[in-house]
Amino acid sequence: MTETKLKRAFVTGITGQDGSYLAELLLSKGYEVHGLIRRASTFNTARIDHLYHDPHESGARMFLHYGDLSDGSRLVTLLESIRPDEVYNLGAQSHVRVSFDEPEYTADSTGLGSIRLLEAIRMIGLECRYYQASSSEMFGATPPPQNEDTAFYPRSPYGAAKLYSYWVTRNYREGYGMFAVNGILFNHESPRRGETFVTRKITRAVARIKAGQQSELFMGNLDSVRDWGYAPEYVEAMWRMLQHDTPTDYVVATGTNYTVKDFLQIAFEHAGLDWEKYVKFDERYLRPTEVDALVGDASRAQEQLGWTPKVLTPQLARLMVDADVEALSVSGSPWIDTVYVP
Amino acid sequence: MRADNDSQTILVTGANGQDGAYLVERLVGENHEVHGLCHSEDGAVRLREAFPDVTAHVSDLADTAGMIGIIAEVQPTHIYNLAGNTSVERSWQFPTETADVLGVGPVRLLEAAWKLQEKSSRRVKFLQASSAEIFGDTLEVPQRETTPRVPVTPYGAAKSFAHEMVGVYRSRGMLASSAILYNHESPRRPESFVARKISREAAKISLGLSDNLTLGNIDVYRDWGFAPDYVNAMITILDANEAGDYIVATGHAHSVRQFVQTAFAYLGIEDWERHVTIDRALYRPADPKQLVGDPAKLRGLGWRPSVDFEELVHIMVEADLASLREQASIS
Repeated sequence: MTETKLKRAFVTGITGQDGSYLAELLLSKGYEVHGLIRRASTFNTARIDHLYHDPHESGARMFLHYGDLSDGSRLVTLLESIRPDEVYNLGAQSHVRVSFDEPEYTADSTGLGSIRLLEAIRMIGLECRYYQASSSEMFGATPPPQNEDTAFYPRSPYGAAKLYSYWVTRNYREGYGMFAVNGILFNHESPRRGETFVTRKITRAVARIKAGQQSELFMGNLDSVRDWGYAPEYVEAMWRMLQHDTPTDYVVATGTNYTVKDFLQIAFEHAGLDWEKYVKFDERYLRPTEVDALVGDASRAQEQLGWTPKVLTPQLARLMVDADVEALSVSGSPWIDTVYVP
Repeated sequence: MRADNDSQTILVTGANGQDGAYLVERLVGENHEVHGLCHSEDGAVRLREAFPDVTAHVSDLADTAGMIGIIAEVQPTHIYNLAGNTSVERSWQFPTETADVLGVGPVRLLEAAWKLQEKSSRRVKFLQASSAEIFGDTLEVPQRETTPRVPVTPYGAAKSFAHEMVGVYRSRGMLASSAILYNHESPRRPESFVARKISREAAKISLGLSDNLTLGNIDVYRDWGFAPDYVNAMITILDANEAGDYIVATGHAHSVRQFVQTAFAYLGIEDWERHVTIDRALYRPADPKQLVGDPAKLRGLGWRPSVDFEELVHIMVEADLASLREQASIS
């Protein structure tokens, strides 16, 4: 029997929605997974607790390390000791609305985090493949559909910071010949989406209204057009980008368009409710500058990576409502969704 | 009459640089209250010596508390952000520092200025010294304000980020503008920049103080302007009633070869090739292909460059000749 070397991945943002699904995917493929987590006095690992085994146990393949994308020397130390084959940079201040209130922090984590990682890899001379989580928010005001050749026009500090990371990832690929790629991901949601993001806010409210725990839902702009896909399918695309022969950038999207209002309607209907009875407007949820429509064209990912999305927005909304209903029924005890395979 | 521009309290970052010094000189001449930001005590001393009427402050764009403090203390009506490393070369060596100062630095200033505007209900105008390097590998020649940005260096990426952030604050209601500056030179340009290196060395050769000038790729084309003209452009842009992005360029491209030829010809040396050595080690790994700007929008505000390419070369060579002769007469 030949022993094949275990592949090793380093994931920033492992406690987030994408990080947790990616860790799950990589573990299922036999990887050893190292995650970067920020030290906090409260637990922030709820999304990966079900994957965690005490490192003292034999067979543990997921390891967590304290650190922060703002601490460049810590990144050097960790990368030097872990020596990963693949680095996935998913860590960021990832909320667009919040980025207007915290522009500097967003610039530092979402923007400079990538250059610190890339520079650490270059300094150590690590032969690894690098994935940068780029975002459809970089397109901002450029009209849809957007693909890899579409010009960027970010409308938020979040979009601008993501765009900076996109460019330095390309600069390091072209200037130093690194295997560094950008996955330009359009909105991707799941039962693990943070509760302040619009889709999850809606599905969670539906479950609570259904259970009689809530009677109103306050919303901002209902007319924004988005292309919402299912997060576990999107992390699969990330992994495929790093397995490809040549590094390049890819748009990942479903290519469909729905408004926030559409999502509301589907989610409420699924629970047998009429959304118009519960939804109220609150201007606090409006962004200072809105991004009207983001709809991606993922032809390149389909042709070169063989990636196609299976779960589209209506089904996504329904599975998120089901998950929130289920989670509510066991509230107080730990609950996590299992990946839906169509 | 520009009502809101009459009484200005102005903060200039990078006040000791080539552009900063020309800018401060002009603003002081117009009797505005001018504050200059320097990143060292030595710099502050130099600024005070050069301009006794200017208040010099020491702080760093990388220091958030420092920026908030300066804005609170000065309460500026106008901010010109010129500070930071200007060498593309250096940005490959120090990419994180470059991003922190050139990219996040303007955000620290913009955010502090935005807060001041919110609190005082008084407009704070902001001018960002943006750069042609944000266009990098673009295929569009000449570039306009709407040309897609394709930065190819850490310097260009950081400048591009700042450029986007100026746009974000503008769409929130701040009078924040970007002057997209193409190469601009003057006798105050350091010799590490090719234009000044040529004027200085050519002047030395003509005086018999040197016999060789070593250069990298002399067939790259750049749009060269005169720094004082570009400083005038910045003032024109910030004094306009509406904020926006403006290309600051001459619209004409000349090669480094033409610069060399023009400099030597002015000195009466026609066989310049005899004095020039090409060193391939000075070629850069990645360089923007052809940066030429279309200043049509800025012309709409009445701006015109006062000198053309030939005059620019002559001014620089003449200044170097004068300073070399002065040195020679002193020693």
